[in-house]
Amino acid sequence: MALRAFRGSALLWPLSRRLRQIMLTSLAAVGLAVSAGACTSSSSTSSAPASSASGKVGGSLTVWVDSVRLPVAQAYAKAHPNVHVRIVTFDGDGNGATTMQTKIQLWNRTGSGWPDVIFSEQVNDPVWMAKPPFNFAAPIKGLIPQSILSQWPSPSTTQCTINGTQYCLQDNLAQVVLWYNKKLMTQFGYTVPTTWQQWAAIGQKVATQHPGYIIGTSGESFSHWIYFWGNQCPLEKLQGSQLLINTSDTHCTEMASLLTPLIKNGTVPPLSVFTPDFAKKYGGANDKVLMMPGPSWYAQAVFQATLHIPAGQITAAMPLQWKNETPVTTGQVGGGPWIISRHSKNLATAADFVQWATTVFNPPGANARPGYPAYEPLANTWLKALSANPYFAADPTPAMKAAASLIWSGWNLVTYPDQPVWSNTVVTQLVAGKSLSSLMPAFGHALSQAAQAAGYQVSQ
Amino acid sequence: MSSPALTSAPVEATRPRGLHGAPVRGRRTGAGVSFILPYLPFLIGFGIAPMIYALVLAFTTSSGGWAGAGNFTRTFKDYRFLPAFEHILLYTGVWLGTLIVFVVGLALLLHGRANRVSTGFRFLFYLPGALAGAAAVLVWLFMLDPAVSPFSFLEHNVFGVQLFVQSIAPGKLPFVFAMIAFWTGAGGWIVVMYGALNTIPHELDEAARIDGAGPFTIAFRLKLPLIRKWIAYMLILSFATGTQLFIEPQLVNEASLGLVPDTWSSNQLAYQLAFRYGDFNAAAAITVDLLVIGLLAAVLIVTRTGLFRREG
Repeated sequence: MALRAFRGSALLWPLSRRLRQIMLTSLAAVGLAVSAGACTSSSSTSSAPASSASGKVGGSLTVWVDSVRLPVAQAYAKAHPNVHVRIVTFDGDGNGATTMQTKIQLWNRTGSGWPDVIFSEQVNDPVWMAKPPFNFAAPIKGLIPQSILSQWPSPSTTQCTINGTQYCLQDNLAQVVLWYNKKLMTQFGYTVPTTWQQWAAIGQKVATQHPGYIIGTSGESFSHWIYFWGNQCPLEKLQGSQLLINTSDTHCTEMASLLTPLIKNGTVPPLSVFTPDFAKKYGGANDKVLMMPGPSWYAQAVFQATLHIPAGQITAAMPLQWKNETPVTTGQVGGGPWIISRHSKNLATAADFVQWATTVFNPPGANARPGYPAYEPLANTWLKALSANPYFAADPTPAMKAAASLIWSGWNLVTYPDQPVWSNTVVTQLVAGKSLSSLMPAFGHALSQAAQAAGYQVSQ
Repeated sequence: MSSPALTSAPVEATRPRGLHGAPVRGRRTGAGVSFILPYLPFLIGFGIAPMIYALVLAFTTSSGGWAGAGNFTRTFKDYRFLPAFEHILLYTGVWLGTLIVFVVGLALLLHGRANRVSTGFRFLFYLPGALAGAAAVLVWLFMLDPAVSPFSFLEHNVFGVQLFVQSIAPGKLPFVFAMIAFWTGAGGWIVVMYGALNTIPHELDEAARIDGAGPFTIAFRLKLPLIRKWIAYMLILSFATGTQLFIEPQLVNEASLGLVPDTWSSNQLAYQLAFRYGDFNAAAAITVDLLVIGLLAAVLIVTRTGLFRREG
């Protein structure tokens, strides 16, 4: 699953390096987890807020994080000299990699080796971590005070709740908003759309009036999380023990027919923003991104660091509405969670780490958190800093803040990765020139097969 | 992909005959045993024992009971099973075909050249093989991406490829992987074949020439039949490595952000079944399938080429 969520610092690199980074990440997937041991000796006492878990904060702690979360772990180690933190970076399970599953299976088989805390880029990872045969995640309740837990937005808590028990804490929210280039929109004389229909109409105009400019992409492995989640298409909707996957639902077919001509006329190309091809064609001096529906972490990670779009152009608008349907709902891409191991021998410190990473860690300036903090009090200070950021053409935070509560709750997280299914059944065929509408049945079929293989009972 | 260059090829052709006295045989057996002794623990620990473990897993259930052919029928019915094996067989077919034609062809060509020229070329052919396994795939990922490839003009003009996505389109993948495997493995085999050609007694070559045979006749009617066993040996080893393809599709899956399915090859499917679904028995069943296919191919090649038949 391609939640290249908040690659933050990684995206500041030039593209060739970025490709190399992808490849190195891939290497990690084959089992070469790089240990970046940040160890400190135990001496003074902890300065962190008290944890409700019984036991003292201290001792040794093993933490597995992706490269973007490495600074959090390092900062914790620095702030807590009495905790001996062992940090291991891994690929964050990008694109459905089985790194973490492989490791947990092996730890389970050998009966030792589990880390105390894991960060995953995959928002659905806690779902399988909480279930057999993995049985890895520890219930959060009792480890972190309820007064703190209640400050997460309820859709976030719901996503972390599996069979009635909360197993994770989201690090950040990844609500989809409409990113647009204010300078270009004014220059072309377009008004910022509020509905998908207006957005598509602009796409038709752009194709003839300003060919080469784009209003979105369809080539992300998570493109369906942007377009179909937001439009309430039932692609993974749990109904009791059944999983509803119905690509012939009107919410799906309407969105597919809206996108089909836009993909064809080149305004929504089947290319990923993370490919060198994309940056070359649409980024930098070309500056061809007119609009792009995408998650909140696109902010600087994609527009500034990856595409090098000049400052003073990009900002965010409210998620698009389908015709005049209310309430407006939006999708989500990412929102990586923290998971504590149920095998941890140092639960108090593990909980303290997670609490610190999600509620305290918020450095200013260039080291700022790349994503919208899920913990509300932290989100407010983070948004304040973002709204003052001169990179944006206008304050993007009101739209981001409003969108945070609009994520459609009819899309349930599942144990299997559904994003590669979009990539290899839809994107490869879009590149070959097929229409999205004609691919929807095959997409639904492939999703059903993946769900059934993972043990779900599928209804259509 | 292991480099096959340094593994020992059969060398019977040059063995002196007529030393079959009993004391000699005893001495030779002793010497033989001492030669294989250091290898035995590794063969048992990393070859035979895991194979037996896989066989046990393949015929039992997760709780340890007898499963019969259950794991095999279950994996056969998996929607990813047939595509994975189709990919693998197509890939192996393409790869072995190019391997035979080019390795044997180039080795024969080299053998006809003056010594200095052929040494230079042998080194040149072997070079890409120095970049083994994962490293080679990473280099190839760059080569295949028109945005960063030094050969983008070829991709644009000859293959009509503008994007990385097009380079790794599903229909092209078996050929792409075969190409990667060829470039990294062929050089080693050319060196082996060259060595094989060197075992042909010079008198035979000379006799053929005196009889009026040209370079083509010598290459195809004399040298080729004499290195038949080496070709068979290359085929058996390459068939086994070919059907066990894993690292290439796995890395391309990651680097392409999931455009290539993570169950493209049968070995990947076994990996996914074991670690994503925790179904080690099904994974073992697939590895046993691969073992059977590899054994069948080996038996076929051995019997058809007389690999172990001793002349005289």
